[in-house]
Amino acid sequence: MVVAGARLVWRRQRVLWWVYGVNLLLALPAALRASMSFGGVLNSSLAAERLVKGFDLTAFIELLAQPEVSPAQLLMGSFVFSFLFFVFFLFATGGVLEAYRRDQSLGAGEFFAACGGFFWRFVRLLLFLLIALVPVGILAGLLSRVSGRLASDSPREMLGFWVELGGFLLLWVLLVAIRLWFDLAQVRAVAEGERAMRRTLWRALKLTAANFGSLFWLYLRITLVAWAGLALAAWVWVKFVPAESVGLSFLLGQAVVLLWLATRVWQRASETLWYQRRFPPAPPASAPSA
Amino acid sequence: MQPRLRAVPPKVFALVSVLAAAALVAAAAPAPELPPPAASTFTPDTPLSERVVAYQIEARLDTEKKTLEATETLTYRNRTGRPLDLFAFHLYLNAFQPQSTFMREVRQGSPDFEWKEKYRGSIEVTRLEVVGQGDLTGKMEFIQPDDGNPDDRTVFQVRLPRPVPHGGEVQFKIAFRAQLPEVLARTGYKRDFFMVGQWFPKVGVWWRGAWNCHQFHRNTEFFADFGTYDVKVTLPQGTVVGATGVEVGRQPNPDGTQTLAFRAEDVHDFVWTADPSFRVVEDSFTGGLGPVKIRLLMQPGHLAQAPRYLQALQGTLRLYDRWFGPYPYTQITVVDPPHGGFGAGGMEYPMLITASTTWWMPAGLLLPEIVVEHEFGHQYWYGMVATNEFEDAWLDEGINAYVETKVMAALYGEETSVLNLWGMTAGDARLSRLQYRAVPDTDPMTRSAYEFMSGGAYGTVTYAKTATVLRTLESLIGEETLRRALQTYFQRYRFTHPTEEDFLRTVEEVSGQNLGWFFDQAVRGTHVLDYQVRTLRSDRADWHEENPPEEKKGETLFRSFVVVHRKGDFIFPVEVEVKFDNGETVREHWDGRDRWVRFRYEKKARVVSAEIDPDHKVWLDTNLFNNSRTRESHRRATRKLAQYWLFLTQFLAQWLAWLA
Repeated sequence: MVVAGARLVWRRQRVLWWVYGVNLLLALPAALRASMSFGGVLNSSLAAERLVKGFDLTAFIELLAQPEVSPAQLLMGSFVFSFLFFVFFLFATGGVLEAYRRDQSLGAGEFFAACGGFFWRFVRLLLFLLIALVPVGILAGLLSRVSGRLASDSPREMLGFWVELGGFLLLWVLLVAIRLWFDLAQVRAVAEGERAMRRTLWRALKLTAANFGSLFWLYLRITLVAWAGLALAAWVWVKFVPAESVGLSFLLGQAVVLLWLATRVWQRASETLWYQRRFPPAPPASAPSA
Repeated sequence: MQPRLRAVPPKVFALVSVLAAAALVAAAAPAPELPPPAASTFTPDTPLSERVVAYQIEARLDTEKKTLEATETLTYRNRTGRPLDLFAFHLYLNAFQPQSTFMREVRQGSPDFEWKEKYRGSIEVTRLEVVGQGDLTGKMEFIQPDDGNPDDRTVFQVRLPRPVPHGGEVQFKIAFRAQLPEVLARTGYKRDFFMVGQWFPKVGVWWRGAWNCHQFHRNTEFFADFGTYDVKVTLPQGTVVGATGVEVGRQPNPDGTQTLAFRAEDVHDFVWTADPSFRVVEDSFTGGLGPVKIRLLMQPGHLAQAPRYLQALQGTLRLYDRWFGPYPYTQITVVDPPHGGFGAGGMEYPMLITASTTWWMPAGLLLPEIVVEHEFGHQYWYGMVATNEFEDAWLDEGINAYVETKVMAALYGEETSVLNLWGMTAGDARLSRLQYRAVPDTDPMTRSAYEFMSGGAYGTVTYAKTATVLRTLESLIGEETLRRALQTYFQRYRFTHPTEEDFLRTVEEVSGQNLGWFFDQAVRGTHVLDYQVRTLRSDRADWHEENPPEEKKGETLFRSFVVVHRKGDFIFPVEVEVKFDNGETVREHWDGRDRWVRFRYEKKARVVSAEIDPDHKVWLDTNLFNNSRTRESHRRATRKLAQYWLFLTQFLAQWLAWLA
């Protein structure tokens, strides 16, 4: 299923390029704003060299403290554009899933019709998702307190760390389970043209619970590819990319972003195929005999 | 210590480079008269200090109740030049009570701080007798010389029926019991770990014609007279103990306890630590006075980091020995506090320092090394040169912070002595400067530690500003001269209580310069130093002609000017380097007295750049980015950072999209 999902992503790669393109396009204004902000200080200063040949952390902190640079505003800009991408991704999910369900190139009209058709349903699902995440947040808070106390008070220094790590893994599994549940709800909504989101959620929950092992394994393998790619890129960046090289660093960074976006749509494609294998679409009704 | 940048030759390269450079500078400079080598003044039979006090203490630790029962015999030798009938004592452990001045200041500085009963510490003198003058327990009187807080019981005084003549001795016999807090402000317990500091009734210092015996404050450290300590500690067998001084006896007791005896000479404090979990790692260093035993008391989970501590300590010992004089004691103990007990970490006591690390500390983050270096440095700046930490904190913390930047640079590289990880670097001196520029003008360095605007201001000014000021002083008198001044100061004032004036006078004397103008602004004042290249321009001389000839390199005449502006109120002479596009470089000197200066040039070349302080010696300048200006914009750094920002934004966006 994972390989089939990868093939599906490859066949319908236009979807991925679109998503990546929008991600890049939305991030560019944030980067441009940062560029203007940093440039006001750096472009005519010889002290900028400390940030070219290497990355002197103290120089960077001093840069952030300049009146021309407002880290809070820069961060806010990044958050705003990230949020816009999130909205776009939520909007595009209907079209992406439809393209994978039909395994054919959709025209712009068809694609956006699917996006628009499912957008408000997915917004409703998002609200349910946020509610489902509340207990996870509470658990994370509790875990942090317990592990912090253990780290301070337990005679074994590593205990707090192991508790935190174990707890983090459990929380991660819980998060993945919730994500799988909502992924399947979205896949089902698209596959069945379902409008009742609570019913979809309920059925997806039963489906996820009944097949958690296979679904989790599917999700995990693709996630590992994403993390392995990130680790590899970080290693290449530290080891081989010269500190003053902007081009290589840019390419590497973009490769990582593309890989992570690819793995996310890969998960969606695999889940779609998994659902279709379990619930094959009904064959088109044959024409009644004369 | 592991190399921090594996692709580059490790710190050996940096060390060799720095030492070679130092040797070159030393060879080039005329050799001034120096005080005799420190080693020649140390002989085994001659006390190193005046030995005003002699403490004999016997203490029993209850590891369950975290309490001490102890008796103390203090012999005080009156060297004040006058008879004394009034004595003041510190009871530091009483600071750990909710209404104490210490806790009030903690709460004032950290409004979120919540009092917990486990923080309670106390010390109660149950009997005070003066030999030959009777029981004076009833005559003890708590005093609050700094703030009048009647609930503060960290200082008491007692008046003797008969004065002690100058040259005479008086013996106090004191019984006391103490409750240790959970480790807080350098003392207390954490599980089975005990850091027992500032734990006994300690007489103040007769200084400048009065008792100098301040209350315990949030920001203050300590001040005491030199002397000898004979201390016996009784505690459960199997407990590993470390202390000021050297162990001179050990005896198991039938009740399952053991009594360990320690003796320390020519020190002004005594601390001890105990933990059954300690793993002992021993090594040595051979300095100008022979071998020094190094004893690391490590937490089991930190054993892998013992080599980092050792390497930092041995390197520091070597450089201090070479730069200032030998370490005169035979032992140095390094205590590695347990997790959760970091309140005991990063503290200096005579012959014993506490370090700090965690099991996960990466090799490229040199915090354990810095802590060990810094705390060992206090053996000189506090331990031997025993300045008043209540009133002149910069003289020990600040000088020590400055030397720390030099030692760390020599051992680990100027630009990589704090951080060298994943392509990011940070140097200790630059980090100090960065801290300083955050709070450059709140308090003068000479302010008493408990009178600073805030804990942050105290820390920044006392440590970071002093280090930055002394780094800048190097630009005026030279690095080697400043080192000689510190050496002279150390050798002249070790085992005494020098003052701010002693230090500043020594620097002026050794450098042969009148530096009052600098000290007034940097040390006694709160002036801020910020110079900028405000304008840089090159215009064709024939700009007014209607059809000027085509510009030709090397032939067209330009009128150029550079305006340098002193933005801050700190007046400091600076060099300005102006570069032209024909490769020519001009160095200008400006005394900085006016608010700005304009340098004019008429050359067949355009100005390329102008830079204030081109040798990067004026560390006090609070903004290095405006110290230079180029005629043409260059965007390499901007592109690089913008590209990082782009990636981070894209990545953040795609993480957020996980929710979609």
